[in-house]
Amino acid sequence: MIEINNLGFSYGPKPVLKNISMKVSEGNIYGLLGENGVGKTTLLTLLCGLKKPQEGTILVDGRNPFDRQPSLLADQFYLPDEVTPVHAKAIDFAKEHGVFWPNFDLDKFYTILGELDVVATQRMDAMSAGQLKKTWIAFALACNVKYYYLDEPTNGLDIPSKAQFRKAVTRYTAEDSTLIISTHQVRDLENIIDPIIILDNQAVLVNASMQEISEKLYFDYGTEIQPGALYLEQTPGGCIQVYPNTTGEESKVNVEAFFNTVHAHKDLLKPMFNQVNE
Amino acid sequence: MNEIFDFKRFWTYFKYDLKQAWRNHSKAAIMIGGASAIFYVIWVLASLVFTQHWSSPVIYARLAVFILAFAILELYMVRAYGYLTEKKAGSAWLMVPASKAEKFVSMILMVCIVIPLLFFVVYMVLDGFLSLVDPTYGQALISGGINVYSELIEGISTLGAESPIVFTPSSFIFPTIISLFCNFLYFHLCGICFKKNKLVGAIAILFGLSLVLSLLTGIFVPRIFTNIDFNNMDEMQLAHWVTGCMNAGVIISCLLTVGLGWGVWRRIKTIQH
Repeated sequence: MIEINNLGFSYGPKPVLKNISMKVSEGNIYGLLGENGVGKTTLLTLLCGLKKPQEGTILVDGRNPFDRQPSLLADQFYLPDEVTPVHAKAIDFAKEHGVFWPNFDLDKFYTILGELDVVATQRMDAMSAGQLKKTWIAFALACNVKYYYLDEPTNGLDIPSKAQFRKAVTRYTAEDSTLIISTHQVRDLENIIDPIIILDNQAVLVNASMQEISEKLYFDYGTEIQPGALYLEQTPGGCIQVYPNTTGEESKVNVEAFFNTVHAHKDLLKPMFNQVNE
Repeated sequence: MNEIFDFKRFWTYFKYDLKQAWRNHSKAAIMIGGASAIFYVIWVLASLVFTQHWSSPVIYARLAVFILAFAILELYMVRAYGYLTEKKAGSAWLMVPASKAEKFVSMILMVCIVIPLLFFVVYMVLDGFLSLVDPTYGQALISGGINVYSELIEGISTLGAESPIVFTPSSFIFPTIISLFCNFLYFHLCGICFKKNKLVGAIAILFGLSLVLSLLTGIFVPRIFTNIDFNNMDEMQLAHWVTGCMNAGVIISCLLTVGLGWGVWRRIKTIQH
């Protein structure tokens, strides 16, 4: 369980996160969404202990991540947006680096790497950005940790690899593992992320499960334009409309449309979802 | 789980660090360590061009090159763990599940012992090889250099005809080692603190410090020396005075080494990305 209480962080005089409080429960794949510069990466780096909170506290299973205790570091994996090219073959890197994670599974690393079409004997410093990212993804998933913090994991991946990534995440992470995935590529991940956290203006705008979202909002994929839609997007085959769910009818949540709806109607939707959380 | 220092985990981490060091620094250590061979080739070529005779560098010149190469190695320490300030590589290093103390001890061992030793071994092996294949090259530095060093020390220790021997070659081993540690740690600390222009920053600080120290020395040293009457000192008193100065230097070096080590520890503890 991750508990964040009144978290604040700023770069110089500019606050990025302010008074953030939330709980992240185990066994979920959280999608962390937000516009550029709202603090998604900052939040992830605070959660994994790369940064020290300037205000408030973060507790991961009762431990402060910034203490960087080996037991917590062995329980988590942070995958940054840009990964480092190691001067070694992928397989050597995995063998040498994996020893620090007690549940690291080399066979799993081989399997995921194979599924992502990367040759294990290739040198990492000679790989393309996409191949390098895939190698690190395979390594992260092979570590079998409890907490994964993935920052834009699908950036730089080709189309087949994005699908492989989704499969790998659902197939190779334990049921009680918690993943927090920051992304702008919501279409790449919308089938696997649940709940969704939307950051905006130094605060958490929404922290809701797909169930809660579909209970509160209705996503209409029809062709007929409805009056009073909170959000409308024309698509080649029709349109996506979002409006308050007054009938209780279930609909498939379109994460991108949801994000845009929240952004267009912050004042309306923030209290709507905060009520649910409270 | 021991969160502060676990020997088994430290050994795992140290082996990992060794492999990283070999990967990242072996080329540089071999290049710096290869200074003896480079110098030898230049000397022989120059000798052939200008005198038409095959001639190998004299032992004093070789010793000077060795000291120069060692100085370059000291400067190189800004790069030993310089990647810690880079966002990508530094983050990956911080997230390795080992304690701060384990990472610190491993780092100190690498910077003060492993990397210099790697350089030393490469240098001496190349030098020994040249000594073996070229009869004009003379003794290998490891034996010839020790003789030269001993001669120099003897020269210092026999200040007067009946000088009480206060220095032996071994008297200088500890001060030499501690001052080397101090230098390695200084450049290493600059390497993990400065994000850019690490070497320039390190040298600029040294330059600034030397200016301040020169000023202080100019003010205080004449005052100290005016109270000492060297003309009426006997050999024993002079020897004790020189020994006292040397001990003070060693104590200062030890304090500096501890201070720099503490700086490295603080940096490991507080670094953020």
